[in-house]
Amino acid sequence: MLTLENLSKHFGGVHAVDGVSLTIHEGEIFGLIGPNGSGKSTTVNLITGLYAPTTGTVTLDGYDLTAMAQHERTAMGVARTFQNIRLFGNLTVAQNLWVAQNGHEQRRAHFLPRWFKAGGEHSPDIDELLKFSRLHSKRDLPASALSFGEMRRLEMARALASNPRVLLLDEPAAGASLEDGQLLAERIRDVRDRGVTVLLIEHMMELVMGISDRIAVLNFGRKIAEGSPAEVQANSDVRAAYLGSKHKDEELIHA
Amino acid sequence: MDGYTISVLSNIGLFAFLAISAWILLIAGEISFGQQAYFAIGAYSGGIATAVWQWPFAAGVVIAVALGAAVGALVAWPTMRLSGLHYAIATLAFAELTRASLNVFTYRRDIEGFATGPDGANGFGDIRWVYEAGIEPGAYLAIIAGCLGAVIGLVALMSYGRGMARLRIVGEDPILAAMQGLSVTRTKIAAASLAGGIAALGGALYAHLATYIEPAQFSVMTGVHALAYGLIGGLGTVLGPILGVLIDIGLLESLRVFAGYRMIVFGGLVVLVLIVRPRGLLDEPTMRRVQAWLRR
Ligand SMILES: Nc1ncnc2c1ncn2[C@@H]1O[C@H](COP(=O)(O)OP(=O)(O)OP(=O)(O)O)[C@@H](O)[C@H]1O
Ligand SMILES: [Mg+2]
Repeated sequence: MLTLENLSKHFGGVHAVDGVSLTIHEGEIFGLIGPNGSGKSTTVNLITGLYAPTTGTVTLDGYDLTAMAQHERTAMGVARTFQNIRLFGNLTVAQNLWVAQNGHEQRRAHFLPRWFKAGGEHSPDIDELLKFSRLHSKRDLPASALSFGEMRRLEMARALASNPRVLLLDEPAAGASLEDGQLLAERIRDVRDRGVTVLLIEHMMELVMGISDRIAVLNFGRKIAEGSPAEVQANSDVRAAYLGSKHKDEELIHA
Repeated sequence: MDGYTISVLSNIGLFAFLAISAWILLIAGEISFGQQAYFAIGAYSGGIATAVWQWPFAAGVVIAVALGAAVGALVAWPTMRLSGLHYAIATLAFAELTRASLNVFTYRRDIEGFATGPDGANGFGDIRWVYEAGIEPGAYLAIIAGCLGAVIGLVALMSYGRGMARLRIVGEDPILAAMQGLSVTRTKIAAASLAGGIAALGGALYAHLATYIEPAQFSVMTGVHALAYGLIGGLGTVLGPILGVLIDIGLLESLRVFAGYRMIVFGGLVVLVLIVRPRGLLDEPTMRRVQAWLRR
């Protein structure tokens, strides 16, 4: 479904992503792991169009996304969360979702309605999303007033509000406790069960190993392994890559 | 009301247009040091329309607003790709270019035996439509207040609708806004056009009150003040920039205690507010609290 072919991004001499090819199948949860700085976030930025690749292509169901602008990719069904949370802090929770749901329609609407027509943030879809994300009681609070965990939930709800086909999650459990991680795992499965394909970047090994159908491992921008969680854990290259940071290695073994 | 009060209030009203103009761009995430250029464009075009072409006052105001909005959009088109400091410098350069152009702009016609119209650095006098129509200062203050009310109403309508949300979204995180399909460029051009029109409206009203204008009145300091009004008054409501004007002109200028020290006191106040409340006195959290309180 989502295919990366020979994708590279070089920042000067830094080969952040270096000739990565991947295929993510419809309906799977695909884990993308690797040590810090291995190019995971850059890969997401290439898929969503925040960066233009140095080489390679990104295709979704055979459509080449590589030359498309970010919002066009959103309209094609690509949605993401950010490793460093990115929300409109001065808008309410509901308004953040409304923008995500309607941004691309706003572009086409006529001038006057677009600027002066009210409402919209009370649609049933938004109510449903708020319930799904357990943010219903916070709908009229500014996003900046949420706790860290709530912000992460709102980010995911916002990604879902654009009605995506692929959801790219960049470390959704960062800063969360183990229990929160479990809740998150359930929510990610729910999302998948609704028919959304998930690309999950995560350092919390229990989480990725537990819910991913397949996993790819990046190291210094290159893909060094791909397979089922068990295969990846057994891979000697992967162990060597994670040996660079001892504590990560333990995480990998204990997961 | 005595004449002095009327003149202070008129001044406050006129500066409010300029302050709201800079404030709209602040909301859209742009710092402009050049809104005085649109004030000048409004003053000159409005003045030419009534004094040289002998059009009615209302038509002069309309042409001023249209020209300000059009120039705002036109200047925004290439400069919106600049960000932060670069944009600020571009606005400054545009404003100085406008002032320098007015310094050499001469367009005079014989009106009832007198050469009337802009005469470069010598200025542009005899913009007397309002006086010839017998409009008293008090009545003219009401006209200023009415126009200001209309601008505030327009912004309120945009806040009720989605316009202000769009500006705030684009101002807060243009990358995220673009990702969600909002056209950042178009939103910023619309904001610049709106800001240009509002400043030009103030300019046209100013020209007819002052009857004499000259390029030197539209200096960078005027633009810096306009920007500072929104920053101290607050970005949470359109009343913020008006509060800023009230503090500066209403308090500092009018209270003679500060005579001679006004600029120092005002500068210190701006610095203090920016440190303590980076988004001004009436910032977004304050306005949300006010709204919640009003709803009770
Ligand atoms: N905009 C940029 N400019 C220059 N270098 C960059 C940029 N973005 C990323 N890099 C570099 O590219 C490499 C990969 O970064 P990336 O953020 O993709 O890693 P990551 O796998 O997401 O790491 P982490 O686990 O810490 O989030 C790093 O060396 C980083 O410093
Ligand atoms: Mg990262």
